Amino acid sequence: MKAYQADIAKFDQTDTQVFGLSVDSVPANREFAKQLGVTFPLLSDFKRTVVKDYGVFNEEQQFGNRATFVIDKDGIIQHIDEGNVAIDPTSVADACNVLMHKKTSP
Amino acid sequence: MFTKVFATLVLLALLGSVALAQQPAPPKTKLKVGDAAPDFSLRATDGKTYKLSDFKGKKNVVLAIYVLAFTGG
Repeated sequence: MKAYQADIAKFDQTDTQVFGLSVDSVPANREFAKQLGVTFPLLSDFKRTVVKDYGVFNEEQQFGNRATFVIDKDGIIQHIDEGNVAIDPTSVADACNVLMHKKTSP
Repeated sequence: MFTKVFATLVLLALLGSVALAQQPAPPKTKLKVGDAAPDFSLRATDGKTYKLSDFKGKKNVVLAIYVLAFTGG
């Protein structure tokens, strides 16, 4: 999350909204955001419906696995990072850059 | 004879490095690039509720799912 925060200006420039998402409560996420100095919204998937929809729910340990999805303006997934790769936002930022130069379908 | 052994060794080394290079963690999500992203509507740290479909035609969305559970404060 810290790495994404450092790159937030880059994402703003590419017309991209960044969200963090975890299965934690809103107050827990607020505290987390405060500690890390994160300014983008952190979503609280308390019921674990979204992590399940995205297939990143870890049944055994009851939390979401680390993963990053880039979704374009048409609601289509354009890039997926999973596991430890997802910590580094470089490839995600690159994907957003490509999308910025791509025309949206009518 | 020597060249044959050497060639075999080189081949083995090459195969080994290919095998090592092809070990990415198996993807766990069933979603693929090109799939429609499942919609969501969730409360965020800023008190607002965000719906993915609200960004359609407006902005790209980066959804960074992270592990924080059990860390409490």
